[in-house]
Amino acid sequence: MRGITKVFGPVVALDQVDLTVESGHIHAIVGENGAGKTTLMRVLYGAHPANEGSIELNGQPVSFRNPEQAIRAGVGMVSQHYAIIPELTCLQNLLLGAEPSLIINQQDAKSRATDLATQMGFQFNWDQQTSELSPGQAQKLEILKLLWRNAKILILDEPTAMLAPEDADLLYAKLHELTQTGATVLVVTHRLPDVMEHCDRVTVLRGGKLITSIPVSQTNPSQLAEQMIGVSVTHHTLTESHPGAPILTAENLTILGDKGQQAVKSASFILHQGELVGIAGVDGNGQRELFHALMGLKPFQGTAVLDGQNLRDLSTQQRIVSGLRLVAEDRHHEAVIESWSIVENTSLGLHRLPNLKKGLGINRDSQLALATAATEQFPTKFDNIRQSFRGLSGGNQQKVVVARALQENPRAILAFQPTRGIDLYVADLVYRELIEATRRGITALVVSFDLDEIMTYCDRILVMNHGILTEVPPELRHDRQAIGRMMVGATP
Amino acid sequence: MDQILNLLASTSGISVTTLILSTLAYSSPLILCALGGLFSERSGVINIGLEGKMLAAACATAFVGAASQNAVVGLSAGIGIAIVLSLLHWILTQVYQIDHIISGMGINALALGGTSLVSKTFVELGGKDAAIFPREIYYLAAWVAAAGIWYLFRSTRPGLRIFAVGNDPDKSRQMGLKPLRIRLQSLLMTGVLTGLAGALIATNAGRFSDEMTSGRGYIALAALILGGWKPWPTLLAALAFGFFGSLQLILQGRDLGGLAVPGEFWQALPYLITLIALAGMLGKNRAPAGLGQP
Repeated sequence: MRGITKVFGPVVALDQVDLTVESGHIHAIVGENGAGKTTLMRVLYGAHPANEGSIELNGQPVSFRNPEQAIRAGVGMVSQHYAIIPELTCLQNLLLGAEPSLIINQQDAKSRATDLATQMGFQFNWDQQTSELSPGQAQKLEILKLLWRNAKILILDEPTAMLAPEDADLLYAKLHELTQTGATVLVVTHRLPDVMEHCDRVTVLRGGKLITSIPVSQTNPSQLAEQMIGVSVTHHTLTESHPGAPILTAENLTILGDKGQQAVKSASFILHQGELVGIAGVDGNGQRELFHALMGLKPFQGTAVLDGQNLRDLSTQQRIVSGLRLVAEDRHHEAVIESWSIVENTSLGLHRLPNLKKGLGINRDSQLALATAATEQFPTKFDNIRQSFRGLSGGNQQKVVVARALQENPRAILAFQPTRGIDLYVADLVYRELIEATRRGITALVVSFDLDEIMTYCDRILVMNHGILTEVPPELRHDRQAIGRMMVGATP
Repeated sequence: MDQILNLLASTSGISVTTLILSTLAYSSPLILCALGGLFSERSGVINIGLEGKMLAAACATAFVGAASQNAVVGLSAGIGIAIVLSLLHWILTQVYQIDHIISGMGINALALGGTSLVSKTFVELGGKDAAIFPREIYYLAAWVAAAGIWYLFRSTRPGLRIFAVGNDPDKSRQMGLKPLRIRLQSLLMTGVLTGLAGALIATNAGRFSDEMTSGRGYIALAALILGGWKPWPTLLAALAFGFFGSLQLILQGRDLGGLAVPGEFWQALPYLITLIALAGMLGKNRAPAGLGQP
């Protein structure tokens, strides 16, 4: 790929980027959120045609106007969000868009699919509904989909984001086998350990520009991190935790999921004053249901007590007034009203707090003061504090949402993936502010699917697997492999 | 079932054959119409306009059939107008992305007004008998259509693609499918089947009268929902509605062992059954996940 430029409206997502990938390599593309990694891959895959630049495949100039053309030329991509339709069976998902014939011979298709899976060392029940697949299996199915379409160049976007560490190692081992048979693999990732351990070559993007492209053997993680961020990363030491009295106590919480299954099974934990506790685990193991139940969005069995008040007796609004705060997972659906202004959104949910109330209405002065404080907590870019929330970039939106949870004397903050969509520098800042807040006498519980993040910042680690919550013993606190095993339900 | 039939036969002197024939007559338009709706909704297009398409097809079949005295021409006109309305629905909902319900209601209103205008303009023609096909052909077509659709979705490429697009148009697009085109094809089939349904209604009655579909498009929609958007269960649901509908025709005005039942009750029966059945099944069947999504 040469001189690739891609412009979205006023934003230059890619600026004259060159990329050369040798066949048979595992090539990593690294960079922060918004660096243009995914955009570059989508240009290659034909999903976003480039504004400028050219692409050559095996010496032949090509230009893909849509993913269909790319896949016909042997280029396929697995997005971060899998293109698997849950209502279809495994076989139907595999075939969709690349059916062998008008009338599909089930037996024939199944045996060919099984052959393909066996080559990769995968096993599938082809008649199974894909809604039942674990994230790891879903990813395997996605890779098989590309191979079914005879893809020779495989692009994987953050392939290990949803996987437990052991599954991630297994994935890379399989990818390595694939490259032995002539395939080429491009991996978009922000996980530098993966790059160092499994990839042959690495390309660094920053702000839509190419920074460097070198063999992995000639670099190291801290150099790469510096190139990604643009400044050298200083590792601040975290303030030590001195846990105090319990603030939030949960005993034997059992919560039903949307399909009536037990999403959380008899979970117990205590959050103390002055500590940041992290829940590690693969997505969909009950984290969502736990947070929703604590916030009053879902019923639960068992007891949960916040500062001596039984949560069951409090409505969601009363829980907020009592100091419970949620950084919701899905910003657009659960956290903000996009057509409202920044000012309105920062007081959304906090509007019944004594400080903001004025008779039946809202005290406009304190509302504005609150918004100003929230936008100054993290460096947030906006034109006018009264502009509509929609005008903010995703990262800036997230900053406001996290900052809002820190305002007006919270007691316990529940944060679901608080750094989703924001770059490393601000992500670090978010955790630092959360930690500082806990040191001032409150408590916080964080759910993250990024184990490294949890291991770096949290004082204690809980692991959630199939609705069962277990605490990581203090002696294994820094053992990535052991926590990884706990995440899939094995003994540490 | 047998007992009920026997009871009916003994108390009111209705033969089982009559009941079966009238059930077929009443249910076949429902089956055809519901299966037409199945194509549309399986591909993700909500279709509340089945009623309108059926009514327009009935009108066209009757008037063109009467004017031309040619059954082929009459039926073609019926199917043709249903296809046109179906394509209108496609353009409105897919190209211009109008709300599916609103577009469907609009089509129903258009058909209601349009057919009424036609029947008032060509009063003389409306009195003539139309050239028609024997209704047994339609009965057969209904069952063949159910079997065909079952096979289509079970083991063919178009079936898989319609199913995928109806569940998740975005992901289908990522897999190289063209939802717009697939929905166009599906709505064409909706047009054909609702056209057949309308033609059968005209055939059963012999000539057109205003509002002659009398809400049966909505009952077909209910059968589709009851049948969980699957061909055979949909056919069964339509058959059951047909049974109660024909019961109405037969029992109306009869003396049921001294029990005086007002005629209005029998008229309301099929609708009542529909309502009860829908309420009982509500939320139990899974609708196509991408219903109404662009």
